[in-house]
Amino acid sequence: MNFSLLMILLTPFFGGLLAYAASALHKSVRNIFFLIFMLIPFVELPVYLNKTVDNFYYLTILGQNLSLGINPLSSMMLLLFTLIFFLSSIFMMFEFNDRGEEGDLAVLELSFLEGAVFGVLLARDILTFFIFFELMAVLVFFLVGKGYKEAHTAQMKYITWALIGANSMLAAIVLLLFKAGNIGYTEIAGYLSTAPTSIVLVTFILFAIGFLIEASIMPFHVWTPITYAEAPDSVSVVLASVVKKVGLYLFALFAFSLFGLNLFSKLLPQVLNNSLVMYILQWIGALTIIIGTFIAIVQEDAKKILAWSSVAQSGYILLGLSLGTPLGVAGGLLHIINHSIFKGLLFFVVGGVIYRTGTKNLPELGGLIKKMPVSFISMLLGIIAVAGIPPLNGFNSKYLIYEALIQKNEPILLTIALLGGTGSFMYVYRLIHSIFLGQLHEEHESVREVPLIMQIPMIVLALLALLFGVLPGIPMYFVSKVEAFLGLDPIKYNLTGFPEQPGLHAGNVPVISITFVAGLVVAGLLFYLLPRARKVHQLDNYYAGEVLTKDVKYNYSFGFYSFFDDIIAPFNKWSVESVYESFVGFIKTAGDYLRRVYTGNLETYVSFGVILLVIFSLIYILGGILW
Amino acid sequence: MVKEILTLIFTPILAFFVGIFLLGFKRKMVARIHRRYGPPLHQPLLDIIKLLSKKENISHGVMFDLGPVMYVGAAILTVLFLPIPGFKQLTPFGDLIAFLYIMVIGSLGMALGAGESGNPNASIGIARALTLMLGYELPLIIAGNTLVIKYGTTDLYKFMTLQSGFHWNLFLLPLTAIAGFIATYGAMGEHPFDVVVAPQEVATGPMVEYGGKHLGLLMIGMAISTYIETGFFVILFLGGGANILTFILKQLGVIIVMTLFDTVFPRFRIENAVRYFWRWPTLIALVGLLIVYIGGK
Repeated sequence: MNFSLLMILLTPFFGGLLAYAASALHKSVRNIFFLIFMLIPFVELPVYLNKTVDNFYYLTILGQNLSLGINPLSSMMLLLFTLIFFLSSIFMMFEFNDRGEEGDLAVLELSFLEGAVFGVLLARDILTFFIFFELMAVLVFFLVGKGYKEAHTAQMKYITWALIGANSMLAAIVLLLFKAGNIGYTEIAGYLSTAPTSIVLVTFILFAIGFLIEASIMPFHVWTPITYAEAPDSVSVVLASVVKKVGLYLFALFAFSLFGLNLFSKLLPQVLNNSLVMYILQWIGALTIIIGTFIAIVQEDAKKILAWSSVAQSGYILLGLSLGTPLGVAGGLLHIINHSIFKGLLFFVVGGVIYRTGTKNLPELGGLIKKMPVSFISMLLGIIAVAGIPPLNGFNSKYLIYEALIQKNEPILLTIALLGGTGSFMYVYRLIHSIFLGQLHEEHESVREVPLIMQIPMIVLALLALLFGVLPGIPMYFVSKVEAFLGLDPIKYNLTGFPEQPGLHAGNVPVISITFVAGLVVAGLLFYLLPRARKVHQLDNYYAGEVLTKDVKYNYSFGFYSFFDDIIAPFNKWSVESVYESFVGFIKTAGDYLRRVYTGNLETYVSFGVILLVIFSLIYILGGILW
Repeated sequence: MVKEILTLIFTPILAFFVGIFLLGFKRKMVARIHRRYGPPLHQPLLDIIKLLSKKENISHGVMFDLGPVMYVGAAILTVLFLPIPGFKQLTPFGDLIAFLYIMVIGSLGMALGAGESGNPNASIGIARALTLMLGYELPLIIAGNTLVIKYGTTDLYKFMTLQSGFHWNLFLLPLTAIAGFIATYGAMGEHPFDVVVAPQEVATGPMVEYGGKHLGLLMIGMAISTYIETGFFVILFLGGGANILTFILKQLGVIIVMTLFDTVFPRFRIENAVRYFWRWPTLIALVGLLIVYIGGK
């Protein structure tokens, strides 16, 4: 069966409306419609896999054709995002189960958000992409508001930044519209290849600001931690795994397909074999890694750790993409897939823990391993992936990025990237330790594993993370197609890893996994054959002669890395956030003075009017004389 | 083929006995510096046999049991990715970067196991261990980078062959080698960087709840880790070895130098240790990197 692109685009919108209408009947009817329409794109998409369709016109407006299209890059993203949306819709049904009206709206908005994301991915002209991009921002704004206590602050922060990005992109779009006279991607690419340097640079920077805000790259990351942490858990998954990736998708599409690396290297000076703008972006990526990682280490809130970690991971993606070599871009694209999987997984697990215990504050949690074993194993796989340890999927993409940095001969960037990897061990261990290890709190004695259906999202993503880790050839199949589409030589790969090729030492994850399993079997046999161990209570511990009791447990959880906090404390005053805050302070003070104009006295207002009239007339007259 | 598989099977066993020898030698040497007689050379082996044959073992849960198993399993894995003279081991399937990441699997296992015990000392120990790791990794990464730039490869076996015939990096790149040595020294947790186990503060940290067969397994893993860490340094900076005997002799040399420092130092506080690593060894490593980066290969 053949489905037109417009059908794919409209499916989620129909689904959302139907589900919302069905909520008048019963909640379960609503949920059935919701899930079915979340599944339908899986049926529609395979036809378009790795196909390139350009310029499917659907509307003519102001003499411009709005068009849709699909290419290997967007079809890869569509498939990934459909999966994430489907899984988070399962989670959402539980999360909003007893929230009545709000739940109905959330269902509607999540479906619409999927439609908006599809719109951005399928757009083949800058106007369509902009309309859907803004729709996305509005829907995220509504969805975030349904979250935790601070959600309304987060909402405002998000929309402020989204609007900054929107305005910056709008300026670029208007500029291009007037200069190129056309809005199609292909026409604009054609115009840009001969455009003057200033226009290329200005439009690229304006677009990049819009994309990088959505991708939460330093210095535009300040909205990320609070928004990710305060949004409902199912929305956090979508934010980290989809919305952020939409920004990075657009960055990749614009940088490689619309503008093109050749254009930059033709127009701009070269720095160490990179065009200047790409070199700056590499450094921004590296700084994002280090800042995201170091701040994630000292967080006390489970979702904030994940939020800062996802800031750091998008640094890796930007670093990989902006290297511009086949190896680096492959690493960046692969990390987009992998990060969506493992960060979604971790948000699901943390969401499940919150669902059962009602808190995301790490010192209030602990010892849940015996109560929630499935969640524990899922999180274990997730954190191994975040830390980039084989055989989970995070290893493959980070490996490619590191090797690309070595190939480019950039030791300082490589050092920063590797140090970020080490730092990630710290925060992921803190996360799993404070939730699942350590001592169980008394009030959590009766906590159970999350419901079976709610485990599906975690299990699916955990298995995917493992599968893509052991057999990197599966995601690489899509990535190499995308690389060919972006005009790079796809790197060589096979199902089990990467063969020896220029700049890349051979890597083979199955060999690592099998050897590890063999080692485990040897050690496990030795362990199993020796006398069995007797189980003891968690408080039956050695504590230097002191006896731990229910009241005095000394559970080590709050300020886990307080000594690390001491080390980075001197740098806190240089934070980007404080710069913005002083700017906000300035605006407030200025506004305060401006407010005094409104005295409530009619005479003042009339005299202001007269003064303004005089000033404008003077300008008009003087202008007439001078020009 | 059969010969290669046999070598792969026997290397972890060799690594274990070499590690026991190095640990035993260290204890003897420390004793002699303290003007004691010291235990016999095979004392670590006796300790392991004693621990493994304990009748009474305690456990805090499944992860607590899995921790030591994972530690030993990962140690075996890591040994197989470290080349030995004349044999590539599994290095055709993973390079320096992969090796760095494989090396932490064991520590992760142990950290998870110790975490489940619920003992605050264990948690503090691990928090310190991970922070210390962030400290010593910085100079180690820079030193590693320098070698990668110099040789244009990330293959550990090539590192070894390219240094043969006294083209040791210790002589060619002394600054990098010093930084690498300090980092390795910190990674082995010798004084003044023994904040992780710190018996007087956190009662041996991660190992506090472990006893009996669990501790026995951990000690097996530790013996193999000693082999790995000294072997890694020997491969990076001391030119590997012409045969397995010179390789072990060089490892012994590394241990002797380390023990000389180890016996005379008190202990850093953890934040000071990290600050130290990020200051002096990093600076030395950066200068070394600069020399290679500017001076060419």
